[in-house]
Amino acid sequence: MFKKKDLLLILPALAIAAGMLFWNYFHTDTQPLTAVVEEKGQVIHTYNLSAQKTTQVINIGGKYHVKLLLEPGKISFLHSDCPDQICVRTGKLTKAGQAAVCLPAQVSVRIVSKKSEVDGITG
Amino acid sequence: MSKQKKITIALCSILGIIVIVLAVIWTRFGYRAQSYSNTSYAMGTYVQQTVYGKEAQAAAAAAAQSVTALEDQISWRIDGSDIYKLNNAAGSTWQSMSSSTISLLKTSLDLAQKTDGAFDPTVLPLTSLWDFDGKKHVPTASELKVLLPRVTYKDLRLNEKEKTASLKMHYEGVDLGSIGKGAACSQALEVYSKKQVKAGVIAVGGSIGLYGSKPDNSGWSVAIRDPKTPEKETGSVGVINLNSGSSLSDAQYISTSGTYEKEFTKNGKTYHHLLNPKTGMPENNGLTSVTVVCKDGALSDALSTACFMLGKEKGAALAKDYGAETVFIDTNGNITVSSGLKSRFQLTNTSGYRLAS
Repeated sequence: MFKKKDLLLILPALAIAAGMLFWNYFHTDTQPLTAVVEEKGQVIHTYNLSAQKTTQVINIGGKYHVKLLLEPGKISFLHSDCPDQICVRTGKLTKAGQAAVCLPAQVSVRIVSKKSEVDGITG
Repeated sequence: MSKQKKITIALCSILGIIVIVLAVIWTRFGYRAQSYSNTSYAMGTYVQQTVYGKEAQAAAAAAAQSVTALEDQISWRIDGSDIYKLNNAAGSTWQSMSSSTISLLKTSLDLAQKTDGAFDPTVLPLTSLWDFDGKKHVPTASELKVLLPRVTYKDLRLNEKEKTASLKMHYEGVDLGSIGKGAACSQALEVYSKKQVKAGVIAVGGSIGLYGSKPDNSGWSVAIRDPKTPEKETGSVGVINLNSGSSLSDAQYISTSGTYEKEFTKNGKTYHHLLNPKTGMPENNGLTSVTVVCKDGALSDALSTACFMLGKEKGAALAKDYGAETVFIDTNGNITVSSGLKSRFQLTNTSGYRLAS
């Protein structure tokens, strides 16, 4: 049974979740974005989405003939022969932290925010 | 549970949510407003600043202005500058100039003497003949034969008391290009200190000045550019982690002289801008770049050129004399880090470079 005391647990959890949501929302949209494509756990491609000007299809191939669609600021699974099609239905990734995975093909795409970690560059 | 207790819990929770939202908004906007980044153009290169503190924006603007003012004072290209007057009067009269120009000339001369002319502020005849920013001309042997005798620091004379300087012979000329960007960093940091900002970093081309400590006390990290990555990307060979205390005397300066900064290819041969004042030709001693860290901006800049010219062994010894730390990178990707910097240097490109033991 739902007890009133449970609110003590639920509300703070909700508050933290809301806070994190806000945090994520505000903190990712201004950073340069990089898409990282991995196959079987190995990084096979990285793309600078913020600098991407054209639309192109990237052929990953493999057993499921995976194709990715790279667009300015976006990346998505365009095609996969996998039975579940979860990867294609994930849609377009536009924000840091988002990811799409094709489990059968063991291909994953995630977006990381490539925030400059240095204060200056010499040379 | 009583009704009152319920209400208290609900109110507390709502309060909690509000606090968290406010905290997020504060970190997003409030904190950001306390740091200000700005890019301007001076000394033929980009000037990038990030300043932390209440007066960040005003301090950055004033610092940018002070860099331009310094350029107007020491650039041989600018009509009426101290150095312009000095060069114009070469072979004739002594010229009076501001004390900061005299001090830069003094630092240059000291270094020229210490390096026996491997570093030489009187290289203008040479640099204008090559004209790396314009015509990109490869001098002929006869041209060099005529010009090289005009490149000699011994003909630059200073009277510190009277604040005057002179060049002994006609057609001699001072070019403070290898000290000016570092001096500009010092100038900017003085402005930061005067405006009482919390911290600030300025990069004038490849020269960097670090002042104070950031609000999160995280220390500074400065990357050494990897010449093998394209210009738009920020690939780095390694990162130097530094701390600068809250006073101006604790500031840190970093400068790099690298063959890749300015170069051109003619008839299949690549020429870079680090000219040996004695041969008049680019110095190819197996080094790609030298990075110098020290507590004086002008010196860090000048030392990077001097250490490059002297090569790894002699260059490292010279830097040590000045209490400066160094990173030497050779054309094979070997990196030599001075002992005081070893724990602060972190190699980031392990495929193209390796640390020499």
